[in-house]
Amino acid sequence: MPGTQTLVNELVTKLKKRRVEGSQETALLTAELLRSVISQLKVPPTNQAETLIEAVKSVGELLVAANPVELAVGNIVRRVLHIIRDEDFSVAISSAGGDDRETAEQNGFRVQTVAAGPPSRSPSLHAILDRTPDSERAHHSSRDGDSFEGKGKSADRNAESWKLKHDVIRAVNELIEDINSCHEQIAEQSVELIHQNEILLTFGRSRTVREFLCAAKEKRRSFRVFVAEGAPKYQGHALAKDLGARGLQTTVITDSAVFAMISRVNMVVVGVHAVMANGGVIGPVGLNMVALAARKHAVPFVVVAGPHKLCPLYPQNPQVLLNEMRCPSELLQDGEFSDCMGVCNGSGNPLLNVVNPAFDYVPPELVSLFITDIGGYNPSFMHRLIYDYYSADDLDLQKRSNS
Amino acid sequence: MWWRSPSFILDKQQSDTVPHQRNPPDTLPLPLPSQPPFSMADTLQNPSPENNISAYYQTRAAHHAVVTGDWLAQAQAAIGRDPDDSTDTTVATVAGKPFSVIDEFNSWRKQPELAEAVAAIRALAAVIRNCQATTMMELEIELKKASDSLKSGDTTSISLTAGCDLFMRYVTRTSALEYEDFDSAKSRLIERAEKFGEISCKARRIIAMLSQDFIFDGCTILVHGFSRVVFEVLKTAAQSKKLFRVFCTEGRPDRSGLRLSNELAKLDVPVKLLIDSAVAYTMDEVDMVFVGADGVVESGGIINMMGTFQIALVAHSMNKPVYVAAESYKFARLYPLDQKDMVPALCPIDFGVPIPSKVEVETSARDYTPPQYLTLLFTDLGVLTPSVVSDELIQLYL
Repeated sequence: MPGTQTLVNELVTKLKKRRVEGSQETALLTAELLRSVISQLKVPPTNQAETLIEAVKSVGELLVAANPVELAVGNIVRRVLHIIRDEDFSVAISSAGGDDRETAEQNGFRVQTVAAGPPSRSPSLHAILDRTPDSERAHHSSRDGDSFEGKGKSADRNAESWKLKHDVIRAVNELIEDINSCHEQIAEQSVELIHQNEILLTFGRSRTVREFLCAAKEKRRSFRVFVAEGAPKYQGHALAKDLGARGLQTTVITDSAVFAMISRVNMVVVGVHAVMANGGVIGPVGLNMVALAARKHAVPFVVVAGPHKLCPLYPQNPQVLLNEMRCPSELLQDGEFSDCMGVCNGSGNPLLNVVNPAFDYVPPELVSLFITDIGGYNPSFMHRLIYDYYSADDLDLQKRSNS
Repeated sequence: MWWRSPSFILDKQQSDTVPHQRNPPDTLPLPLPSQPPFSMADTLQNPSPENNISAYYQTRAAHHAVVTGDWLAQAQAAIGRDPDDSTDTTVATVAGKPFSVIDEFNSWRKQPELAEAVAAIRALAAVIRNCQATTMMELEIELKKASDSLKSGDTTSISLTAGCDLFMRYVTRTSALEYEDFDSAKSRLIERAEKFGEISCKARRIIAMLSQDFIFDGCTILVHGFSRVVFEVLKTAAQSKKLFRVFCTEGRPDRSGLRLSNELAKLDVPVKLLIDSAVAYTMDEVDMVFVGADGVVESGGIINMMGTFQIALVAHSMNKPVYVAAESYKFARLYPLDQKDMVPALCPIDFGVPIPSKVEVETSARDYTPPQYLTLLFTDLGVLTPSVVSDELIQLYL
């Protein structure tokens, strides 16, 4: 499959050179790439699900390794793997329910999943209790298969292989659709959260936040928005411009003025880079300060996040492992430091260092509410959503690619 | 919480004056109404000659023998005496043959690496295997009796009770029993029971594997007491060439921290021993706190060795993560509302000097750490936040 190989390489290069940024765009590109990988893959008649999973995993490893900080890539890869497992399970259910049991028997993997229940569920006390021993499973499946020997095997198999792939591609399309439309669904909930004459504060630039605020405006709510500019990228300026153009009362403040203004604010609404499994969030640098200020003044800190931002990993040492040091030119663009940049002390180390981290980790205690496309949730509830979206078998995607 | 009521306090005062009377909470779950209440129940509940030491504590002593060898001997003697009293009355007569759960349980329990709950699970699996019943209902009743007798052998052990409850849930409340003939259903049950025992056995390895991500090079870990899971975690980390150091609390009164420090020193892990009251003093050097658990309760909190709560409080106020390593068979159906809302497990405390009789001594061996002070729990089900544990438990027994 030379066609997919070039596509994969293209995205890997883009990710490596940080030419795609922003979790939504990355998520969409990843999902589309995986869709074309799946559609161009020739599946063998048996073990199709495993073949698909292997193919998606190998591509996923490359993509994750290209930019490990962009968690959306890993999330989408895991979602697609979960979709394959899920569709495989439902195909197996339907085939076991119908006449063609011998196909199920041929495919040992499939039979196991039927017996064990949906493979998607993360390990839980339930699952441990209801898991059946392998020997028993094999015994039953072979006995079932014997009674239906030799009845149009090949035709069934072809139809089924086509069906699985078709179902998976359809589900991936739905996923892409979900990612595209999550803004609208999140924005719909804004009327319930934004009240008349309130003052809101947001930080940096997020498309989700923009749609969220504009939706409330369209419903004739009048409110004011403070936008912290979000140094060093100053994306807040762009957001303020957008909001002003849509007719919202907008005020731009510096990041350092957040604490000064927060006592007048009724709610903080922010978009984030990723949501971790414990309910903590990774956001643009400076977000933790905003969250602490909001906590100090008991202002609700609301995070809006689409489904592609949910990451099933726990943050271990997030300040280091999930962070990225960006180019210092963002800080020193004026060139006024240029004369001291070259100066070194005796041992050859430069006297002037510039550190420009890209992300901040906000612990779950500081988040009041998550607004997702399917409703508002408490930080401690995020694990439930994550268990619904991902299978436990796929969690170590990134770990394997790192080692 | 009825034993905190005035009537209980009165009873307790009386029992203190009358040496052979037991604490009222222990009498409650006894399924032996026909027996002479005191002498019989005494040997069942508290096999040791000393009346105010719980069976819970003896098990700990047997497994973690640190202080003296005679604790072990005493506990062994108590174990040896136990079945004579309880088996004949409960199980053997029902089964109509010499097999007994308690014997089976004790033979499993002799293995020092095997947790009490796993021993109980194995013993209950043996009950199914040896059962003469011909209907599902009979089998269930017999299992129930066996698990009750196991539980009553040591009412203070949370993991034993929780393990038995989980096993019963596993065997009786499942959809996988829809078989026409009894024999195939029974063989299936045996298979599942053994599977469950196996999973529980592997739990410690799984937890050690899961927790490796959280131990980073150069970190300092504070541990409290001796927990086999925590030891396994640290051992695995040391074997995978991680560089870390460990602060062990002394773990009074049974000084279990001393044993952990011995074991760790054998693995060439840098260890520092602290007295229990030095926790706050050293907390600023600590990167994470690791504790085991006697039981994980429905709120998501844990019940563990005395002192865990105050360590968690100190760690919380200094913003250090508190990690708990606990196997899933320790998930118990309890919801303690505060520290005293538990069956107390008592242990002897040696102060080194004679204590005047007027001075009261707090001899409780465990405390309850509420979920808000815990960061994550490492279980064989995965890495969970306290609220997930709570969710799991409530769903399981829904």
